[in-house]
Amino acid sequence: MPRPHLYLLATLACAFGLSHFSDRMDPYFLDVLTGIGINVILAVSLNLVNGYTGQFSLGHAGFMSVGAYLAAAVSVFLGPRLLGESGGTTLQQGTLFLAALITGGCAAALAGLAVGVPSLRLKGDYLALVTLGFGEIIRVIFQNFEPLGGALGLNGIPAYTTIFWVLALVGLTVFVVTCLVNSTYGRGFLATHDDEIASEAVGLNTTRYKIVAFVIGAFFAGTAGGLYGHFKMTITPTGFDFTKSIEIVVMVILGGMGNTLGVILAAILLTLLPELLRPIAEYRMIIYSLMLIVLMLARPQGLFNFKFGKAKL
Amino acid sequence: MSEFLQQLLNGLSLGAIYALIALGYTMVYGVLRFINFAHSDVFMVGAFIGYYLGKLVPEGTLWGGLLVLSGAMIGCALLGIFIERVVYRPLRHGPTLNVLITAIGVSLLLEYTGQIVFGAAPRTFPQIFPTANYHVGSLTISSNQVFVIGVAILLMIALQLIVFKTKIGTAMRAVSLNPKAAQLVGVNNNVVISFTFGLGSALAAAGGILYAMNYPSIDPLMGVMPGLKAFVAAILGGIGNIPGAALGGLLLGTVETFIGGSQFSTYKDAIAFAILIVILLFKPAGLLGKFTIEKV
Amino acid sequence: MPAPLLQLDRATIRFGGLTAVNAVDLTVGDNELVGLIGPNGAGKTTVFNLMTGVYQPTDGTITFNGTPLAGLRVNEIVSLGIARTFQNIRLFGSLSVFDNVRVACNLHRGTSPVQALIRGNSFRADEAAITHRAEELLDIFNLRRFRDTPAKSLPYGEQRRLEIVRCLATKPKLLLLDEPAAGMNPTEKVELVRLIQQVQKQFNLSILLVEHSMKVVMGVCQRIAVLDYGVKIAEGNPAQIQRDPKVIEAYLGEDHQTALSHH
Repeated sequence: MPRPHLYLLATLACAFGLSHFSDRMDPYFLDVLTGIGINVILAVSLNLVNGYTGQFSLGHAGFMSVGAYLAAAVSVFLGPRLLGESGGTTLQQGTLFLAALITGGCAAALAGLAVGVPSLRLKGDYLALVTLGFGEIIRVIFQNFEPLGGALGLNGIPAYTTIFWVLALVGLTVFVVTCLVNSTYGRGFLATHDDEIASEAVGLNTTRYKIVAFVIGAFFAGTAGGLYGHFKMTITPTGFDFTKSIEIVVMVILGGMGNTLGVILAAILLTLLPELLRPIAEYRMIIYSLMLIVLMLARPQGLFNFKFGKAKL
Repeated sequence: MSEFLQQLLNGLSLGAIYALIALGYTMVYGVLRFINFAHSDVFMVGAFIGYYLGKLVPEGTLWGGLLVLSGAMIGCALLGIFIERVVYRPLRHGPTLNVLITAIGVSLLLEYTGQIVFGAAPRTFPQIFPTANYHVGSLTISSNQVFVIGVAILLMIALQLIVFKTKIGTAMRAVSLNPKAAQLVGVNNNVVISFTFGLGSALAAAGGILYAMNYPSIDPLMGVMPGLKAFVAAILGGIGNIPGAALGGLLLGTVETFIGGSQFSTYKDAIAFAILIVILLFKPAGLLGKFTIEKV
Repeated sequence: MPAPLLQLDRATIRFGGLTAVNAVDLTVGDNELVGLIGPNGAGKTTVFNLMTGVYQPTDGTITFNGTPLAGLRVNEIVSLGIARTFQNIRLFGSLSVFDNVRVACNLHRGTSPVQALIRGNSFRADEAAITHRAEELLDIFNLRRFRDTPAKSLPYGEQRRLEIVRCLATKPKLLLLDEPAAGMNPTEKVELVRLIQQVQKQFNLSILLVEHSMKVVMGVCQRIAVLDYGVKIAEGNPAQIQRDPKVIEAYLGEDHQTALSHH
């Protein structure tokens, strides 16, 4: 069996194992772990777009929100009808959740297509701002969409997110991204980033690579959103604004753009940091911003960008 | 009809403020090919400097108001020059992405430090100029609106004079066309760039004061939306093009005000982004701008 | 006479008021070595850009292997069998030498991206074949020892060679070389001539060469076309071109006769 598949199976086994011990574990610890997992999925999926393919996207939270809302819609509106009054068995709930996550992911992927296609001709600053604009447009749309709660948000989302789902999806995201990139096909993403004109000159369809990156990145951001919604049980449009997008971008930059292992470590660090800094929570964003500035001035390749960081999983 | 004229007046007044902020974006982009994300927060700092200076002068006097305005403009000019010198200049010759990310960092730093220093709760901006309401037919024109449009026009004329009639202005234009050639003819690019930042920041501060005069509730995050919209205005007019920024600002302010008065009012924030996307898809050079082709 | 591999029929491109390439007729046959020369600014690279789809002609047609190239995208034209190098080398600097060649093998990849996820036997066989082919190409051109070096760290001469190797990975029938001798000393130029001849024979393709170095052009090309201000002013074998008065006049400003016989 190829090695990536072994890793994925190992992760799934861990997820399964952990979920069995979860009732004996400290709930706070589980919450932090869930938060870490969701951020890892967000960061790794964004890394495909920003890091590997070099498309600087500042609207990732928008895709997360599409996934969160659509997944929640499935559970909240379709759930009662499919599961009946009793709420269904664990297996039925699990299947519903899977369907919700897939719906959220696919909806987000469509949004990724809608954002990716117009953005193709843009570079650098312009691309960043257009993706930011799209993220804001998505937010305003949800703010005005009463059936999904409008500005007040959507409540009553069932708490389907367990440590099993989180770890399983983390494993899947990392698996897909690394398998894709570590192939002859996947080297095309890096080439597109490095030199588009040269890429076209060796026969690569750079347009397709960029769109694929956006769509896959958006899909996993959507699943992360679905996990988030069924974890917090309530979602609001402002929770997915461009501050959230920037938080994810910081993880990618800290980890070293185009370095999956580094990005995972950065996501873990940046999820733990607010917890550790809880006593000085109001200084969190100041520390973030200082970190960004210092990083760019002193070590733009990221904190975790060592040679072994480019692990071939 | 009078409803239309009233909205038009409101729109021009808002648009004038967007124009002032947009001018800063466009000038910096002109000389550095870089979008200063932190510009919107200089706008906010201007408003807050005005707030504190406003406490030192009696309310509602002309000279007091002008003092506050100039104080804020000078203060922000210094801030802009400082940021460029300390944070942007070291990265000037690296990948443009790095400066962009750093600018985001500076923006966040200003916003959240502001929240700590000024507190997150909104404050009421004092009436620094004498106020009155004029009635022309069924139109109500507040003196603040007159001020906004008047000051904005004066500043834009001053800017045109600086850019086209002074040595430093000519140097600015030279650097924006060809930085290397400008150096070769003896222009000190660093001085020009600092000056550009200072000028743009001063205009943003003026925009902040004028904005606070019309919408007197100020808070550390007040720059985010107007900043983004002003940026769209700069793109709309053609980034790097000074009359374009003014035109874009006025257009955007007017459109936004009309949408705000219509049944789609809750979407008015999204309008700016929709315009941005349409422009970048169909006419990326903007209304008055030019585009350059990359040579293979 | 069989149809030529590449045919430019009154190819023209105008940029606003400037006609950079003016009604140029040019053909390249199978297994031919053709040169395209002319003073600076004559439009040679523009002709390359027209052939590769970077620009669309304002007038005239370009046909490759019977297929008209109008409206085709750059990467589509590459898949038809035209590969090119660039005047200022365009390698994937951050990728390794090996990956530079490997990524060019995408054109003839046998499996789909989805199979990269499944990683079944056919995927692994295909990847192994690609690796083998890329390494083989590196071997032929003495670049194997640089396999894992980032391309931007290579010495200049090796970078130029790598660019050619990368082209060959796309299995072209026509190779366009844009000033491959730029920045080379006389010894390197001799080596380049040998390399070009080897490539042409070993890989059974045609080569169209833009070059300023007369030594390289005269040494390699069977037929030479001369461009001046976007117009073809002469065509013939090396001896004919060296004697052509129009060509000599076009190169006026340098030591004309000697310019054509030295370099």
